[in-house]
Amino acid sequence: MRLLLKNISLPLAEFAVEVDVELHSQVTGIFGPSGAGKTSLLDLIAGLRRPSSAKIQLNDTVLTDTASGLAVPPRLREVGYVPQDLALFPHLSVRQNLLYGHKPESGRNPLFSFEHVTDLLEIKSLAGRSVTHLSGGEKQRVALARALLASPRLLLLDEPLANLDTALKDKIIPYLCRVRDEFRLPMLYVTHEREEAQTLCDEILVMTRGRVTARVDGRAAP
Amino acid sequence: MTAEEWQIVWFTAWVSALSTLVIVPFGLGVAWLLARHDWFGKSVVETAITLPLVMPPVATGLILLKMFGRRGAIGGFLHDSLGLDIVFTWRGVLISLGVMSFPLLVRSARVAFEQVNQRFEQIARTLGAGNWRVFLTITLPLAFRGIMAGVMLAFARALGEFGATIMVAGNIPGRTSTLSLSIFQSVQLGQDAHAYRLLGISVALAFIAVWGSECLLRRAKP
Amino acid sequence: MQNQTHRKAERNQLDGLRPPACDLPRLLAGVGFAISLLSGVSPSHAADLTVFAAASLTESLRTIAAQYQRETGDKPAFNFGASSFLARQIEAGAPADIFFSADEDKMDALDRKGLILKETRTSRLSNSLVIVIASDSLLVIHSPKDLAGSEVKRVALADPKTVPAGIYSRVYLEKHKLWPLVEPKVVPTDNVRAALAAVESGNVEAGMVYKTDAAISKKIKVAYEIEDNPDISYSMAVLKDSREPAAARKFLDYLNSEAAGKVFEHYGFIVKGKPGGGSPASGHSGGSAR
Repeated sequence: MRLLLKNISLPLAEFAVEVDVELHSQVTGIFGPSGAGKTSLLDLIAGLRRPSSAKIQLNDTVLTDTASGLAVPPRLREVGYVPQDLALFPHLSVRQNLLYGHKPESGRNPLFSFEHVTDLLEIKSLAGRSVTHLSGGEKQRVALARALLASPRLLLLDEPLANLDTALKDKIIPYLCRVRDEFRLPMLYVTHEREEAQTLCDEILVMTRGRVTARVDGRAAP
Repeated sequence: MTAEEWQIVWFTAWVSALSTLVIVPFGLGVAWLLARHDWFGKSVVETAITLPLVMPPVATGLILLKMFGRRGAIGGFLHDSLGLDIVFTWRGVLISLGVMSFPLLVRSARVAFEQVNQRFEQIARTLGAGNWRVFLTITLPLAFRGIMAGVMLAFARALGEFGATIMVAGNIPGRTSTLSLSIFQSVQLGQDAHAYRLLGISVALAFIAVWGSECLLRRAKP
Repeated sequence: MQNQTHRKAERNQLDGLRPPACDLPRLLAGVGFAISLLSGVSPSHAADLTVFAAASLTESLRTIAAQYQRETGDKPAFNFGASSFLARQIEAGAPADIFFSADEDKMDALDRKGLILKETRTSRLSNSLVIVIASDSLLVIHSPKDLAGSEVKRVALADPKTVPAGIYSRVYLEKHKLWPLVEPKVVPTDNVRAALAAVESGNVEAGMVYKTDAAISKKIKVAYEIEDNPDISYSMAVLKDSREPAAARKFLDYLNSEAAGKVFEHYGFIVKGKPGGGSPASGHSGGSAR
């Protein structure tokens, strides 16, 4: 897989996000202190923000190219996004949330079927419930499942375990591993926890004040 | 209460309801644009919409009279090509009520839209939803209470409209006579008992509408 | 006649004045007074009068008031409107000195409430009704029956329930058995000038107003002049709670004068009875005698 993040420049309040990398790993971690611009970078890749300059390309598809004025709208990018606050739609049930982006044609790939995803993340029993009455861990899995059910080609995860206590983290990490191994989707995983990054990611970008200051190996290393 | 008085109440109620219904799509559209977008000349639009709220109602009525009279820009066209008259008919009442209550609807709806967390809209987009789907399935339902409060407020305003209505529609018994116009005329005629009865109904209707609006707003607050 | 009144005023002033003594203020006052005498203006305090008058009297009364102010220094101010509306305001305590109504009924109502000085009440003017259409209208009206025709969709009248002009129109149409046919088309307006404006705007096909109203508007034309008018009679009186009763009576006398009568006739009003002398006639209107 190839994810190009070339000549990215996005001015923020205190500094600018400036990134110029080419990624080949399946799971790339983005590690750094809060406020380093990690979320803004994810927003850019999802098409939710406009950069002053960028070329973003996933395999053969150009998603953003300011030079030619190309900017694929978010709904066509097939980039799944699990934001830090999860953003589960409060006025819809769990089932409605899950099926929001679910395209019937994605029945083509049985991996992304409702059965398979809900089985994998063990949320079948939650389907009829209201979103507001779920536990932290349940919400996390539902948000993840919702993104998966839209058959994304790239998955963005913004601090998925940030709001969970250690016990819960330990419970969720296996699910994330399952997703990584089952779906073989390219993933960008933002975190400020070193251990998480090393467990889940093949490679880690270190970001400080909007710039990538280091690239290190993740679990590939012993 | 005489049959004539009930006719006045009924007319006032249905023409106010209809005018509110008619302005809802326009009001929501404008409110959404004001809440979500910036453009050159936005402040001019904001001011223009607020004008009927602060100008003397008879002044607004005069402008409407000039526009919709048989010799006016719009009224002339309607009269000559469709044989349709606006001034001195219930349509004139409808337009006066609509114009005068429009700013209230827009202001309330705008606030309601602004209170919807845009994150939800963004995530919906990443899940493949286009603009209309986002608006109908995410923005509108989440803003619903605030919008309904605005609709009730607009309805209440329409119920009590006087200045513009008397200019554009006159006070034709049985055809354009609303509650407020009737109260005015009763006082002029010295029919105090009649006036007080209508006044009582007027207060009751307004009370219900505004109270309903406040209830909805209270429950809309997160 | 106004010369008599004028000199009477001067005599009153002279009675109050002492022959100038040696102190300067009195000397100056005396000189000032002498000068004002020569210039023919009364040095008395110029009264502000408030006259509530029917809308149809707007132009004529303004003209008369201007003349009056030149001659006496008193300045009548006007509140023009529907006589019914004005009467209500007076009943509610509005500060007015004179009421000039377009019909006797409104004056009767005030009289019953004890709000007028009965002995000042006079009925001098009458008027006639016309059917008017917009000046660029192609409508043809041969007789009032045409108001019932299908080409006339809306007829503007001053409110036929309360405003004199509308009441007179309704009485006329009732007499000719046309009211049931015309009533559904009526657009009632607050006063007769508003009915005129409605015809001018083109938003109604026709209207009924006084002949005097039609005369002052260039945007309408008279389609038909009513000949068998109902008994139209304007009534005027000084109000009991007037704060300037003397000045009010004076102005009322002037309104009954020959000079004022000429102005009214110039604007198209019908002046009944003889041009008034020193004392105004009392009581209600008689017939529409010329």
